[in-house]
Amino acid sequence: MSLRRDKARQPVIAGIHSLPYSKDIGMTERHSGALAILGALEDAGLTANDVDGICRYVWQPTTEMEMARVVGVPNLRWFGAQDYGGGAGPPTMALACAAIELGHADCVVVWRSRNRSSGGRPWAGQMLAEGQDQFERPIGIVRPADGIALLVRVWMNTWGWTREDFGRVAITIRGHANRNPAAMMHAKTMTMDDYLASRMIAEPLCLFDNCLETDGALAVVLVAAERLADLSLRAAPAYVTGYALGSGPQVYAMTNYYGEDLTRSPNSFVAPELWRNSGLKPADIDVVQIYDAFTPQVPLFFQEFGFCGDGEGAAYVASDDCLTYNTSGGGLSEAYVHGFNLIVEAARQVRGASTSQVDDVSHCLVTGGNVVPTGAMVVSKEPW
Amino acid sequence: MSTRALPPKPVADRDTQPYWGGVAARRLLVPRCSSCGDWIWQPRPLCPRCHAPDPTWKQVSGEARVVSWTALHPPVLPVWADSVPFVILLVELDDAPGVRMLGQLVDDDGRLLKTNGDAEGLAIGRRVSLRWREDEAGQTLPAWSLV
Repeated sequence: MSLRRDKARQPVIAGIHSLPYSKDIGMTERHSGALAILGALEDAGLTANDVDGICRYVWQPTTEMEMARVVGVPNLRWFGAQDYGGGAGPPTMALACAAIELGHADCVVVWRSRNRSSGGRPWAGQMLAEGQDQFERPIGIVRPADGIALLVRVWMNTWGWTREDFGRVAITIRGHANRNPAAMMHAKTMTMDDYLASRMIAEPLCLFDNCLETDGALAVVLVAAERLADLSLRAAPAYVTGYALGSGPQVYAMTNYYGEDLTRSPNSFVAPELWRNSGLKPADIDVVQIYDAFTPQVPLFFQEFGFCGDGEGAAYVASDDCLTYNTSGGGLSEAYVHGFNLIVEAARQVRGASTSQVDDVSHCLVTGGNVVPTGAMVVSKEPW
Repeated sequence: MSTRALPPKPVADRDTQPYWGGVAARRLLVPRCSSCGDWIWQPRPLCPRCHAPDPTWKQVSGEARVVSWTALHPPVLPVWADSVPFVILLVELDDAPGVRMLGQLVDDDGRLLKTNGDAEGLAIGRRVSLRWREDEAGQTLPAWSLV
């Protein structure tokens, strides 16, 4: 069944904002998040009085109600949160988009503020292992890298992927960061020798296969297309053309080891849903922002979304045909903010405002964290 | 009072208590559907296929083959600071087809091996046998050694 689409109610990214990234932002996530939201509202020519919906990541320590109090929203007609860590980015946006499409809200704020550097490592403080963790954490599967490393080895063994394949991803994304003055790794270049010499973290993953640890705060303002005529936007609107969520069977977050097929990730279930509900195909996409907490997520993305065949992800990434990806430097080299920088960068690509701008962008695809329940979305220059 | 570095402690619940009861007696128990016979892992209160309640806890030999592994390097929890690198295996059990479990790579006496697996020729498909390890907190855990 195809989705009903009402042009007047198409969700549009009308405002974006990100605070400068740092190792210590010097304020609470409540504070930085509020500043990000107020900046995004200003970018859209709106105020807190216009906001009638707020959506957040479950892992966001400030609730929607607390944030509404901090920025002074008079009434929330829509609110909610999406779970599964970094998988929550596009799904949180989807929650906001669905509310706009159905008419439950006209102006929804989505944000992520995270003191992932100065606030410490969440994995270091969880000494009671409950639920799925009781079989994993006591033996040492503690860090996100530990969880995905076992899957990465299976992918390398199945498809012949090599460390050089992952190094190529790290170096490409670092190159984008070198062009982006806002990126944490703006001044640090990386060669294949640098990559191969970096220390191991969770074999087969080395330090440069892992994302950064950053303090950051970003926000997006979504409005219904029919509201655009009333607004004075600072930049071109970025239309949300499609969004989809997916899990697959017997899914576990990070330690997705217990289902039937270790070579299929939740993204392989998101992809057909996104193509169906956006009406697009891989050839329509001009640039992608792939959730890159770990380098192997990039080749896996390309094959699971059909940009190349099954098992061909690494060869595709190495080829001249590879689509441009993670143009701000992503989680590996711009900032690790649970992928929200990828969403903001997608809007910048549609606006023509990226520091690694791709020519004539009609459609930019963004994904959420993978090997957890996740989602993806497409933002576009033109409306439905 | 000294603060000894400890590993994360497993917290059993009603659905998993039989497993941990087995572990304490050094018996590896895996839930199996009483109705359709499917093996179930991780434990849960119902069979996800036929929804029969009360899976039966079956003792297995623990003989297995390696599906994958990682070797941990710093930064790790303080309890493991002097133990790394050590290997965590994902194994598939011979007696419970389709069931994959995690465990540390140990020697035949159940002592954690300080290795990344290279010296032992660790590889996907290698045969492993169940051992029992007492961890830094005295918690018994299933672990595996190379055959």
